[in-house]
Amino acid sequence: MRRRAALALLGLLFLGCHRGKNEEGKVEVSVGAASSLRVVLPKLVEAFGREHRRPKVVPVYGASGDLRKRIQDGAPIDVVLFAAPEPVDKLIETGNVIADSRKVVAHNRLALIGPKGGPKVGWHSLETLAPGDKIAIGDPEVVPAGAYAKKALQALGQWDSLAGRLVFGGDVAAVLAYVRRGEVAAGVVYMTEIKDVADVLVLEEARGAFAPRADVVAGSTKGVEGASHAGPARSFVEFLSTREAREIFEANGFELPR
Amino acid sequence: MTDDALAPVWLSLRVGVLALAVTAPLGIGLAWLQASRAHRFRGLVDALVLAPMVLPPSVIGFFLVWGLGRRGPVGGWLERAGVRLIFTPWAAVIASSIVALPVLVKAAQPAMEAVPQELVLVARTLGLAPFEVFRRVVLRGAWRGVATGLLLAFVRAIGEFGATLMFAGNIPGRTDTMPIAIWGAYQAGNDDRALGYVAVLTVLGFLAAAFAARFAPPRGVDR
Repeated sequence: MRRRAALALLGLLFLGCHRGKNEEGKVEVSVGAASSLRVVLPKLVEAFGREHRRPKVVPVYGASGDLRKRIQDGAPIDVVLFAAPEPVDKLIETGNVIADSRKVVAHNRLALIGPKGGPKVGWHSLETLAPGDKIAIGDPEVVPAGAYAKKALQALGQWDSLAGRLVFGGDVAAVLAYVRRGEVAAGVVYMTEIKDVADVLVLEEARGAFAPRADVVAGSTKGVEGASHAGPARSFVEFLSTREAREIFEANGFELPR
Repeated sequence: MTDDALAPVWLSLRVGVLALAVTAPLGIGLAWLQASRAHRFRGLVDALVLAPMVLPPSVIGFFLVWGLGRRGPVGGWLERAGVRLIFTPWAAVIASSIVALPVLVKAAQPAMEAVPQELVLVARTLGLAPFEVFRRVVLRGAWRGVATGLLLAFVRAIGEFGATLMFAGNIPGRTDTMPIAIWGAYQAGNDDRALGYVAVLTVLGFLAAAFAARFAPPRGVDR
């Protein structure tokens, strides 16, 4: 009895491990995607499914840097869709992502946001905030949106003068929460994060020379299952540049590469 | 270590010293109160003081943000008075004090209880004022326990993480104490940076624990 149970458990384990093909033998493509694409990706996957019967697309979300490490460690991910070019480029260097599959599929824009009823400031006037007022950004070493925020503040020449007033959030959601609770006077997130958030105000979108362009970059990996996934993975990456996909990106607040 | 890397060390020490300055009079006073007489609120005071020892730090952090945040009942009132605590080093001091207090009381109270009651009574009948009884009899008898409590409370204050992160935030150069710097460095995959602070805190913790174990009276009083 115990032996049978153990066997059944083993069988279950194997079932769990045997990803890649579902019951009907259809190929599954897993997409390692940045958390900031949580809203748009399911819509893209749905649209892709309407056109292509064949590969089923399964998103896996995480911080771009974290996903990169997991792919290097051999996580079975066929397509990457990251919020910044650096992690994709590193994966090309390490031979995990196929170089000529790399593609910028959309741009995201940074926004300076504030709580309702908070002080009115813009990117150029952050230093005019009262001395006790804080500004929340993602931890630049962990969160791509935070790294972009740092770049923008550096380009504006305010990074050093704002030292001691920047509260680092562990991800973009934490930054958003600080602002929504009104504990900080301003925060920096992507425009796409605040599309449906009611209780924050966009103080100013990041436009102009100081604003870093937050590229959304796709690429297909060499994969761990070899050639059977390469074709379907590539077809999904190519789909991301079709007119239909571009419309979906645009409708969700992204900007498009020319 | 560079200046930048040393900043969290100095900040932690400053927060620890300030937290001890808050905790010491309060904790010693509470220990005396609890040890000396059976008042009506004894159980309640015990529970309030000791709760932070068993509550998750995130619960303490939540209460702090909720009560002392800019929109909190107390925080809102302070805000109007021009005082803001959240995301300041003072927030770290408050969070650290709350978790350090029970450590001090837990060590000081039994030591005070172990001071023979006859000594206290004799001192009183000989006409010493209550505070003098406390200073010259209770404190003199219980000083090892109190000193151990102060040391452990200081180390506990330096090590506070969860409530501090929620209430004081992670502001480099201002509220990033060693535990918070460890967390930030670990998340960024910068294990070398984290390791430096881990080493400092590990050594400090072991030294304090070893010292406390040797120094505390094995049982009873030390006269």
